Amino acid sequence: MTGGSLARRPGAAFWLLLSVLTLAACAASLLVGPLDDPPAWVLLRLRLPRLALALLGGASLSVAGCVLQSILRNDLATPYTLGISAGAGLASGAIIVAGASIPVVGMVAAGTGGALLAVLAVFLLAGASRRSDTGATLLLAGVTINLMGASVLLLLEYFSDADRILEIVRWMMGDLAAVGWEKPLFLLPAAIAGTAVVLSRTGVLNQMAQGDDMAASRGVSVGRERNLLLAAAAVLAGATVGVTGPVGFVGLIVPHVMRRLRGGDYRTLVPASVLGGMLLVVSADILSRIVISPAELPIGVTMALLGGPFFLVLLIRGESGRD
Amino acid sequence: MPALKVTGLSAGYPRTGTVMSGIDLTIERGEVCGLIGPNGAGKSTLLKAVLGLDVEASGGIEICDRPVRDLGRMQRARLASYLPQSMGAASRLTVAETVLLGRHPYRSGWSRDSGRDEAVAEECLRETGIWHLRNREFGRLSGGEKRLVMLAASLAQEPGLLLLDEPGSSLDFRHQLDIWLLLRRLADRGIGILVSTHEIGISGRFLDTVLVIAGGGARAFGPPSEVFTGGILSEVYGVRLAVSRDRATGAWSILPEEGA
Repeated sequence: MTGGSLARRPGAAFWLLLSVLTLAACAASLLVGPLDDPPAWVLLRLRLPRLALALLGGASLSVAGCVLQSILRNDLATPYTLGISAGAGLASGAIIVAGASIPVVGMVAAGTGGALLAVLAVFLLAGASRRSDTGATLLLAGVTINLMGASVLLLLEYFSDADRILEIVRWMMGDLAAVGWEKPLFLLPAAIAGTAVVLSRTGVLNQMAQGDDMAASRGVSVGRERNLLLAAAAVLAGATVGVTGPVGFVGLIVPHVMRRLRGGDYRTLVPASVLGGMLLVVSADILSRIVISPAELPIGVTMALLGGPFFLVLLIRGESGRD
Repeated sequence: MPALKVTGLSAGYPRTGTVMSGIDLTIERGEVCGLIGPNGAGKSTLLKAVLGLDVEASGGIEICDRPVRDLGRMQRARLASYLPQSMGAASRLTVAETVLLGRHPYRSGWSRDSGRDEAVAEECLRETGIWHLRNREFGRLSGGEKRLVMLAASLAQEPGLLLLDEPGSSLDFRHQLDIWLLLRRLADRGIGILVSTHEIGISGRFLDTVLVIAGGGARAFGPPSEVFTGGILSEVYGVRLAVSRDRATGAWSILPEEGA
């Protein structure tokens, strides 16, 4: 064989382009909008924390999406498949309905806790099941917990005042707004730890995507690795949802697009998804802020309106043509 | 040196209980052993027990002269590899990338492809005759091609023992024959092979020994000429079978007599 390697490896150009686009989006995010209040205050207390939140959230959701898609062997799995949004929504909704006025960090921690509890419930349910196909069982348990959580949330809203309902609905739309650094600093350790765990196990993700038996026959401790990776994904997505509310589509689209661009090798897919997730959420945030300026669209809505059609086009084109 | 030595093996599942017991089997390096029996007799269970997959097993299992209880997962994966019955997961990996996945037991940490990984993968791609497919996407291959790719990935583990679960199922005659010819060639290079199959007719020429399991235990073990008889096969499958062998080609033909 002459020189070249057998596995596809994206060249420097790919990483450079992705990085430059992400940096450009960051610069735009800082500069878009009026800078009239003391500009330094706007930049340091509003724009930068907001940018940090978008970067950390985008990366976290995308990496969590990679993990779920490998372990469930389903390219349509998302971080929310395990009941994360329902858990966080229920916890945050309960606090809003109770009318408790707690600091931002408390609210964020409650959302994260709710998300992690939901994942734990899904996981215990799947473990107790007699079915042998762990992936499918997790998927079914997750979907069920999501539906039940959403129903309980509706029940809460049914017995609540209109203004509380509005607050819950607003929370469910996702929000990147931050005043000061509490939110990004809460998300930072979760994002770093979770991403580090996943990045160190990309070879294992490749094996898990081949099926449990195949992975085990190649020396992977399937049960242990699955627990570790699911925990990492739950922390990544749970903390993000706790901080920003459920922002959909990121964890689905980003790994999907990167897989199309650069193939299914998780050793490339995970780092590419980190950058891709950052780029997508920062860009969507810019869009949210300029479309109906000076007001802004909720990030969750922008993402769904942007991501939905885009994803459908990808699906349709993928079926008919070869790429 | 035996590639596989199984003594007094019982195997089953936690929830459904023992599937088979009292299995003894020795496969020397260079031998192809066929594993036959009716659906549900436990052929896949036996293979999984040897591999240490989700099966409860008791009794002695030695792979390449090493008791499996002394082997770590990674060590076992360097001695024995597995081709499951499924066609492989849908994936956007290329053929070469899929074969490189077989190098996992030789890696640690960040899982980069070493020069040795690439060299072994190339050898396996050529051995299985799919070098020309190396840059194709796995998900777009035909069933026969996918089997060969998964087989090449198993070979990339550099096993002394290769376990295959019905490698010819749902393939056409050409691809079935290619698989059997390939298995024979691999054995002749010193690998021990245990292969479960329903292709009794086509496989007979390529097998050194046959283990028949049915009704929770071993029913017969020996060379095909002793095992492939109307008496044994009819009893095991519960169908009256006429077994004959073509003198010129050495091929078996097995035909049900009922309904004729």
